[in-house]
Amino acid sequence: METFAHLSLGFGVALTMKNIALCFVGCLVGTLIGVLPGVGPIATISILLPITFGLDPTGALIMLAGIYYGAQYGGSTTAILVNIPGEATSVVTTLDGHQMAKQGRAGVALGTAAIGSFFAGCVATVIIAALGAPLTKLALLFGPAEYFSLMVMGLCFAVVLARGSILKAFCMIMLGLLFSTVGTDLETGQERLTFGVASLSDGIDFSVLAMGVFGFAEVLRNLEAPEARDVVKGKIGRLLPGWDDIKQSIAPVLRGTAIGGILGILPGNGAVLGPFASYTMEKKLAKDPSRFGKGAIEGVAGPESANNAGAQTAFIPLLTLGIPPNAVMALMVGAMTIHGIIPGPQVMTRNPELFWGMIASMWVGNLMLLVINLPLVGMWVKLLQVPYRLMFPAILIFCCIGIYSVNNQPLDVAFTALFGLFGYLLIKLGFEPAPMLLGFVLGKLMEEKLRQALIISRGSFFTFIERPISAGLLVVAVLVLAIALLPSISKKRDEVFTE
Amino acid sequence: MSLNQIERAQGLRVRSTQDLAGGLFMIVLAVGAFAFSWDLPSGTLRQLGPGMLPKAFSVICAALGAMLVLASLRYNGEKLQGWSWKGIFFALGGALLFALTIRGFEIGPIRVPALGLLVSGPLLIAFSGLAADDRKIKELLLFAIGMSAACILLFKYALSLPIPLAPWLLGI
Repeated sequence: METFAHLSLGFGVALTMKNIALCFVGCLVGTLIGVLPGVGPIATISILLPITFGLDPTGALIMLAGIYYGAQYGGSTTAILVNIPGEATSVVTTLDGHQMAKQGRAGVALGTAAIGSFFAGCVATVIIAALGAPLTKLALLFGPAEYFSLMVMGLCFAVVLARGSILKAFCMIMLGLLFSTVGTDLETGQERLTFGVASLSDGIDFSVLAMGVFGFAEVLRNLEAPEARDVVKGKIGRLLPGWDDIKQSIAPVLRGTAIGGILGILPGNGAVLGPFASYTMEKKLAKDPSRFGKGAIEGVAGPESANNAGAQTAFIPLLTLGIPPNAVMALMVGAMTIHGIIPGPQVMTRNPELFWGMIASMWVGNLMLLVINLPLVGMWVKLLQVPYRLMFPAILIFCCIGIYSVNNQPLDVAFTALFGLFGYLLIKLGFEPAPMLLGFVLGKLMEEKLRQALIISRGSFFTFIERPISAGLLVVAVLVLAIALLPSISKKRDEVFTE
Repeated sequence: MSLNQIERAQGLRVRSTQDLAGGLFMIVLAVGAFAFSWDLPSGTLRQLGPGMLPKAFSVICAALGAMLVLASLRYNGEKLQGWSWKGIFFALGGALLFALTIRGFEIGPIRVPALGLLVSGPLLIAFSGLAADDRKIKELLLFAIGMSAACILLFKYALSLPIPLAPWLLGI
């Protein structure tokens, strides 16, 4: 019953005219930018971050959540219509979704994706509301040692679940951690690795790093790749799935929601596995697996539901423990910090309106997506035809104005360009930069907790294995790494991520 | 490292120039970070000093880099690909132009007044747009003006961000 009391408080906040409008605008612009080919959710959120600056924290978070869902859904639209996945989780959607589009059933694919996502979003909202309070209580039992071990575990998961080589993902996480140590030391006030640059004394600015590596570097990457856009030429067709389609989709949507929702809660990018797991499952359960890859509606309904459920339950570790499970959530941490909110268990107790309002607005956001996307599909198709030669200068000016507005510092724009160059170098060297962002965001918190834990234990590292919860988390971390490095599993992992 | 060195190294049975370069890159970064945090006190385990973690992370980064170098000698992988200097020059150069002109700057004898978004915006778009292979100058110029106008309306007026518009002309 407590859950419903919380939810009604949340809906009271989310359903004011102003917040509905913010959620609507967030979803709309999120989709607008997210739909552009080659712009994934991370880039979308970094680009749109500045438009939330003038708002109060609650409004800003509601708008950000809207942007996040819009970006996710925009990615699916691009996957179906253009065969370009905006990020790892919509790779699966391209398999059958684009085939459906080629057969003139693009509308049905988009409609099924939207309805499946909406259902998954509803379920995930209830899960968050139900788990929010108990997990927050659990979080309060965590001492510094447990927090540190939890973050270690999260980073191990992130390494294992990253695309490409495990070793390279490990490199990126450590590089992120190294970057996080730049700036003034919290305890002694000494400057570390700042090279005497005044604007580095607060550390590397989060938005500078994110927009450089994900905004600018992506532009550089896309500029040199010859454009191969496979925009569906034929008709979009009707949007609402017919009765037969619905009958075929119900079970996959239910299963996808369950798989995605559970995997999304895992600290360490479990959400990315959801669509893959759901697709594999549907293929195994199907009477005629050969239909998959040729436009099977189950191959869209299941993974899309899993994608959205996971995208949403990924908020659970962030909101309750303050630990972002993946790069997108790391970006949300950065965004929240800009608005003066440090995610963690204290948010729920200190600002219940903000916490529950945001959760309620997740549901509103999902409804919004359903309402705005189905009628606007035609507009998205037009947008997909905007040539890249015009798209990237627009992305650049958005990034520049955004970066400038964070601190009103022109120097930040120059730094961002520098990080853009750095990100381009990483891409050239075959490093996937997403884990770096996660390491960067977790780094400061990890250092703080490590120091606290060592002070409490009087300098003994055994504290991490003597405390049962902490030891358990570390064991899981080691197991995950060990399993991933087993030859047979690592081969399978390669298959999953290259499929 | 330069491409020449990599080509020469290929004679020594390097199986992935990309991984080799990546490993060396990690090592260089790590050594640099280690050197610059050399003076910071490491402290003790009971009371970690400011230098402990930067040094520890640098050591781990260097070790990972070394593993990557070894891996590049053992396993086949991607080759290093060329750079697109055009993209770097125009796209990042555009951003730099924006940074330099938005509020003006002064380096020695060179002095640029604060030009504001009214000038910096079109400048950024027009300059960076040259990076595209299929650029069309007329279209680009029109787009630069239109897009800047849209950005001014959105950021300056709709969102009222405190970004200078044209201090030399309008005083705001």
